[in-house]
Amino acid sequence: MWERIWFEAPGFFTYHNAIFFLEAAGRTLGMTAAGCISGFVFGLILALLRQTSSPAFLPLRLIAIAYVELFRRIPFLVIVFIVLYAIQPLFPDASLFAIATIAVCLVATAFLSEIVRAGLESVPQQQIDGAVTLNFGPLRTLWYVVLPQAWRVIIPPAVAFAVMFIKDTSLASHIGVIELTFSGKMFLNRGFSPLLGFGTVLLLYFAMSYPLSRLGAYLENRLAPARRS
Amino acid sequence: MNYSFDFAEVLAELPYLLGGAAITLQIVFIAFFGGALLGLFGALGKVYGPSPLRRSINAYVVFVTNTPALVQIFVLYYALPDAGILLDSLTAVVIALTLNSAAYLTDIIRAGVVSVRQTEIDAALTLNMGRLQILRHVLLPHIASTVFPPLSNFFIWLMLGSSIAALFGVEELTGRAINISTANLRTIETFIVVAVIYVMLTLLASGALSLLGRRVLGVRQRLV
Repeated sequence: MWERIWFEAPGFFTYHNAIFFLEAAGRTLGMTAAGCISGFVFGLILALLRQTSSPAFLPLRLIAIAYVELFRRIPFLVIVFIVLYAIQPLFPDASLFAIATIAVCLVATAFLSEIVRAGLESVPQQQIDGAVTLNFGPLRTLWYVVLPQAWRVIIPPAVAFAVMFIKDTSLASHIGVIELTFSGKMFLNRGFSPLLGFGTVLLLYFAMSYPLSRLGAYLENRLAPARRS
Repeated sequence: MNYSFDFAEVLAELPYLLGGAAITLQIVFIAFFGGALLGLFGALGKVYGPSPLRRSINAYVVFVTNTPALVQIFVLYYALPDAGILLDSLTAVVIALTLNSAAYLTDIIRAGVVSVRQTEIDAALTLNMGRLQILRHVLLPHIASTVFPPLSNFFIWLMLGSSIAALFGVEELTGRAINISTANLRTIETFIVVAVIYVMLTLLASGALSLLGRRVLGVRQRLV
């Protein structure tokens, strides 16, 4: 096995292959970033809907709860399939990358909504009452009072979630998005040793994920004590 | 664009799909308990072991938890035959998921091991308990109640994650869904039904786990 890797290595570690791997890794990061950012925005909206109390919002509240509870209980792979077969007939020109990104967004919204909700709920009610007394509107209360305090609780698990999603996007390779895992499969099909192709893929995933998980651990230590005061 | 949904053909295959769900459960149980056993030893080694052992366990955990399970299975699935070891796809997937779970569970169980106070171990030593007795009567009950909530969440997460077995041709729930949809071409309907089955399965598992936690361990935490 090792002789084979040694023999194939010069043909494998070439400039063009390196560019190819980096572009694939870029697509992995792109899907993760798009999913996390849009997931955060929609997740925030869902979390805010769940915090409303007036009867007028009841249907929206129920939809928000149902969405979050359902999408956290369906495997990402199944969601990818559903999104693929739902979008392709409607928009035949949609790229596979776009389809995979939409699937990532749908799931990220559900998970990040729960993380955001925990953050919003960590802000003491007195803070909100105080803002209301100062005649702050709901949006200003959110922006100037709630969010600045909720960040500490939201950021560490959100980073941990991003780490999880870098790994989960590997499933997009199955529908043909040329991301990192797919590039590993391509080198396998070109006849390279599987350990060479997938080993490189593993190392590249590690290079993306490890700094982020260290950042998450650092932020958790850094922000946690402040939470108690 | 006119598409009329037709679930009849999919619902006719419901027994076949539920059979797949049973295989999903088998995969999850083996990977979870195998991973938990390895994770327990990993956690004990990481806390009480000598420095080289601690460092190698840590390296394993960090590497496995920072790379996708899918690629790990690819390596096992394609690279082992190169080394002369031939596995069928179900065995390869179960072994890979067990080894993958072991890394996550080492981290989860370690948090429980660390939460055991030295005074408890001292008290057990005073009572002249042996190493195994301490593990059985002091460490395990304490660890179990501390790590129960994250452990249950991981169980649910593994249930969803086990669907990647389908990509290697294992005929579990998702795999059977792929089989059906390629035959009846009702892809959307098939995967919606399968999604509902997954929701049911995880809801059942959450209910059973929180009941177990409350009755046996006295844990009253909200689970996923």
